[in-house]
Amino acid sequence: MTNAMEIYQMLPKTNCKKCGKTSCMAFAVALMTRELTPDACLPLKEEPKYKDSYEKISSLFKPSEGATETGLIVHEDLCFGCGNCVVACPVNVANDPYGVGSGNAPKNTSKLILAIEEGIVKARNVDECRRFGKNKILCNGCIVTCPVEAIEFV
Amino acid sequence: MDFGSFLAAPEIKVKVVTYRDIFQDKAMIENLFGDEYKHISAVITLDSADLKQLNVKKGDTVILKNSFGRVVVRAEESGYEPSHRGIAYMPKSSWSNMLVSDETCGKGIPRFQDISLTVTSAKGEKVTELEF
Amino acid sequence: MENNYHVCTGCSLLCDDIEVEYGTETINKIYTACRVGVAHMKESKEKVTFLVDNKPVDEEKALSETVKILKNAKNPLIFGLGASTNEAQKQAIELGKKINATIDDSSSFCFGSVVEALVTNKIKTCTLEDVRNKGDVIIFWGSNPADSHPRHLSKHSYFPRGSEKQRGWEEERTAIAIDIRKSHTAKICGNYFIQIPQGGDVELIDALISGLSGKLPKTSYNYPPKKILELANILKGAKFGIIFVGPGLIYSLENLAPLFRLMQALNEKSNFHLVPMVGNCNMRGFNENLFTETGYVNSVKFENGIVKHGSEYSIVESLKAKTVDAALIIGSDPFSSLPRSIAKSLLEIPIISMGPSETLTTKKAKVHINTAISGVESGGSAIRMDGTLVSFKPIVETKNPLEEYILKRIMEAL
Repeated sequence: MTNAMEIYQMLPKTNCKKCGKTSCMAFAVALMTRELTPDACLPLKEEPKYKDSYEKISSLFKPSEGATETGLIVHEDLCFGCGNCVVACPVNVANDPYGVGSGNAPKNTSKLILAIEEGIVKARNVDECRRFGKNKILCNGCIVTCPVEAIEFV
Repeated sequence: MDFGSFLAAPEIKVKVVTYRDIFQDKAMIENLFGDEYKHISAVITLDSADLKQLNVKKGDTVILKNSFGRVVVRAEESGYEPSHRGIAYMPKSSWSNMLVSDETCGKGIPRFQDISLTVTSAKGEKVTELEF
Repeated sequence: MENNYHVCTGCSLLCDDIEVEYGTETINKIYTACRVGVAHMKESKEKVTFLVDNKPVDEEKALSETVKILKNAKNPLIFGLGASTNEAQKQAIELGKKINATIDDSSSFCFGSVVEALVTNKIKTCTLEDVRNKGDVIIFWGSNPADSHPRHLSKHSYFPRGSEKQRGWEEERTAIAIDIRKSHTAKICGNYFIQIPQGGDVELIDALISGLSGKLPKTSYNYPPKKILELANILKGAKFGIIFVGPGLIYSLENLAPLFRLMQALNEKSNFHLVPMVGNCNMRGFNENLFTETGYVNSVKFENGIVKHGSEYSIVESLKAKTVDAALIIGSDPFSSLPRSIAKSLLEIPIISMGPSETLTTKKAKVHINTAISGVESGGSAIRMDGTLVSFKPIVETKNPLEEYILKRIMEAL
């Protein structure tokens, strides 16, 4: 979906440094890595002429709440609730082989990263994900199995 | 005076492929007569080149016409699908069914997957309501 | 927790592992079901309604009006039942016998012929559990489960570990989509998506058959022969292959002969099964129940104890020829699902509709009876797309009458 350049295009581009970064481009990068939130850009938040951009940027980063520390984003509005990611996630399979690993409802939820609630995938225990931590690998099991790119990492 | 209104609107011929959409099914369960169902169902997805030829922007309404019916639906531009000029996609619904032939060769099976029609700009005309 | 599982009757997958968390009055949260399943299970609305001419009446008035219509009809049509329990379907078939009705469901313009071939053992089939445990080459032909049966790939056909498939989908399974449009399912299949032109299915079938026996596969639309040969080789190597047939393939076939040819050719070289991607939760049940009773899966006319069968008794041909003079429509909305050019004939005859929600059909009905949603508000059983019988209990309570109960009362009143 988005990259830092697209975010940058929506920012004031004045390099005012009020957010603590040296430039608006640096701020865009900080947004992408979840270091800062859109509210840190005071002109964007407060000046009426940036209202549309502020709302757009805020909505872009809203779905990631709760997963900010790892950058796993679920676009809930896109999700089918099909559970492909739940069943394909190798960590889920390892932690619950006869539940989600076999295509069924979870039997052991304690270490599951992905599960379906109310027809939408929810992420939790994201620190278990193979993309994070000391021995991280670029696992993409949940991304390539999704029909609509509802999961991404930033 | 709007000079454009005197010009014949460009018209293209397309074959329609119908498909199922999960959000449409969900909206139908929640309320067949609701705006959400209408928004997802009364729509035709066209190749960007076809949209351009029609001089229609995505989101505008278009008239779909053949000898079986005439409906006004929203035009959308295709997303991830490979280019498909001359082929248009519609979610299967009451709107697509208004354009299906009654020819069945006596077999009891309508030609749901064989819809040919013309598309023109609806020039702001509203989407056809769901009624019979 | 396991005792608490419910069955979702949102589609013919009949997922049997749904957890429901109740609040004080209503459902609080639903786990594991897909987006459509959740909408289906939360559809329940408390509204007991009997309508005559779109005005509220009591149960007795609605029934007496129903009986009047059916008594006056020489050839009433009973149609629908795809979302009804087996129990209600059997009751409807009994009613059909009693009133000399034409009885049909939407399978007559979709999967009827395929289900008939399966129940008469003309095509090899298997269960979804077999697919999960053994399936290695999975073909979605003219079907798009990602949208129509969202948990198909995750619960059964592609992603889960099975007893003989322990190493996972990347290593042990190949999923192939054949379609005229790049569907969401085709996206998941990645490089194994074969896009053919509209109506190009039979040619691809014959090209594949050529490819299976090592001949050069040709199509009028010049599909690269190398790719067809590559596909044929994958199919040849299958230890347990499955074709999930969808409406896209059915609508492009004049008859099932090409499908028989393909299955025979495949089973000479490897081991292939076929499962239809039936839509409604118990359409297959209707086909099987009617077959048990009459020897036919749909398009039947009862006449004083004799059973007649043929396309002329399908809903579409009956309406085109205007041979039916009243319609009892159960849990179906032909005004939406049929071409308008055909459905308009329904306006000329009195309609009795039964079902849980307001549709174009209920609006045009002389009598409408709001019935309980099978599997959500009523218990019973249904037959999954693969022929497996699944029983279920209600998820919520309702005051809406069961279809079975109304059908019984109509029988008594007649």
